[in-house]
Amino acid sequence: MPFFKTPFNGYAVKFSPFFENRLAVATSQNFGILGNGRLHVLDLNPSGPITEIAAFDTADGVYDCTWSENNENLLASAIADGSVKLWDLALPPTQNPIRSLHEHTREVHSVDWNPVRRDSFLTSSWDDTIKLWTIDRPTSVRTFKEHAYCVYSAIWNPRHGDVFASASGDCTLRIWDVREPNSTMILPAHEFEILSCDWNKYDDCLIATASVDKSIKVWDVRNFRVPVTVLNGHTYAVRKVKFSPHRESLIASCSYDMTVCLWDYQVEDALVGRYDHHTEFAVGVDMSVLVEGLFASTGWDELVYVWQHGTDPRAP
Amino acid sequence: MSSSTGNGPPPKPWEGARASSGPAPFKPPSPGSTSDVVEASGTAKPGEIVNTPQRNPSAAGTALARPVPTRPWEQTYGSSYGGYGSGMGYNSGYGSGTLGSYGGSYGGGSYGGGMYGNSMYRGGYGSSGMYGGSGMYGGGMYGSSLGGPMSGGYGMGMGGPYGEEDPNNPYGAPPSPPGFWLSALRVMHGVVTFFGRVAMLIDQNTQAFHLFMSALLQLFDRSGMLYGELARFVFRLLGIRTKSRKVHPEGPQGSGHLNATHGRNHIEGPKAAPSGSWDNVWGEDAVRGN
Repeated sequence: MPFFKTPFNGYAVKFSPFFENRLAVATSQNFGILGNGRLHVLDLNPSGPITEIAAFDTADGVYDCTWSENNENLLASAIADGSVKLWDLALPPTQNPIRSLHEHTREVHSVDWNPVRRDSFLTSSWDDTIKLWTIDRPTSVRTFKEHAYCVYSAIWNPRHGDVFASASGDCTLRIWDVREPNSTMILPAHEFEILSCDWNKYDDCLIATASVDKSIKVWDVRNFRVPVTVLNGHTYAVRKVKFSPHRESLIASCSYDMTVCLWDYQVEDALVGRYDHHTEFAVGVDMSVLVEGLFASTGWDELVYVWQHGTDPRAP
Repeated sequence: MSSSTGNGPPPKPWEGARASSGPAPFKPPSPGSTSDVVEASGTAKPGEIVNTPQRNPSAAGTALARPVPTRPWEQTYGSSYGGYGSGMGYNSGYGSGTLGSYGGSYGGGSYGGGMYGNSMYRGGYGSSGMYGGSGMYGGGMYGSSLGGPMSGGYGMGMGGPYGEEDPNNPYGAPPSPPGFWLSALRVMHGVVTFFGRVAMLIDQNTQAFHLFMSALLQLFDRSGMLYGELARFVFRLLGIRTKSRKVHPEGPQGSGHLNATHGRNHIEGPKAAPSGSWDNVWGEDAVRGN
């Protein structure tokens, strides 16, 4: 599978839930510290290079993006200037972004579309809050403010349209129900900052967390005193963790140690794959919902790789 | 707002599979749209803006077991970065109380609301010397900020490709250049953001940073430089002249063997010197001519 070179440093990659050959990549100039950002929309060709079908520029880094679940042309992005921008692929670049939402007071670090109810999305920010937005309103519906430090990730439960989890630098993972005034569960999941979390797609009580302590932990929310398992193997902070849409026990992760790892948390030797194709921090990884075993990753080496599990991402 | 809506994506692979290995501790889902559900629950609070200083009134009630780290852009001194000098340097540089409070009040103020206000300036600021411009924003914004970040950058940027789309600028025309203090505040805001983001990265990579420093120390150690040079440096700070410079000139008169020994000594330290080299350290020897 070929790779794609972005002008800026990669931050996140997401497969489209509508088209099996389409993905979006969030990038930021100068490692996201200073400068502009760009959101790329790429198409994979069965034989040939990856082509770019659209690119949207922003005046600050793009830290994350997500595809709409009810419109194949709609994308939401988390911008480092604290804004959340919505883009429509069907409209010319001059009419984009179709919406720019300014409520967060610090960098927005994650955005996630509700896959169950499909009309709403969540953003999490360094201002310690999580915001719930719907596409029919210009302001957020609700703000969740309980974390005591930056919230790096807020992810919907894939089977429950009212429930989501948030991972924060205050070393806690919190479970929320949008109908409840406060979080419903607080898991002191790690001793160091938690950078990412994701729900198991087949067991809605299982959730994985990734931390600066280099470990990934899998938790059962019904009994969260001890983790179900601890996955050690990364040598630096784990930046992102993702459960497979196809196999219940498969987890993908990427880390500041520049590798993308694959885990089967139910077997003893949990580390089932390690890809070291990136030459800088690997910060974005995704698994295709539509094609089993298709992976994408991006990193600060300004490269986007797409590959089938078991093959070499660098192979032409 | 958009061209095609309505139909959902293809079914997810997990749809239809069993939901859970046991009863889930979640309330059953409510029917209806997200906004209806939230409003019905009485928890809706549309458009709430949480300003930095008044954050987390309820966080205290959540029984955190450990102290929460200070935010890189608010703290005054960097206790969370270990003992390395560079980390401390960042923090003392940007973290004064003035800057921190500025970030809050400014963000909520009239200019903070501008669509591209802060960040545009930030982009321009960075490029004025460090990185050079690039992309479609390059021209007006970066060029002008090179000229003088205090005055030019802002106005020119608004005339760029995003000028017309600024929702907070109904006239579409570039606003008048901001006053001196506003510009100065904006520069400080950019600096706070810059170091805040750098500090966040260091935070997330404490081990990496530690390893880098250890590797560096080890490198110097290997080459035999570290402690000898360090000692020499300390001596110099104390105003003590080491003998190295004074040993060499006498080379031609002394025996070749002795000279070689001296040559090595000033790197390895005085312990093996044949003729009271500790005395040499004190400079009187230079007068005595050894």
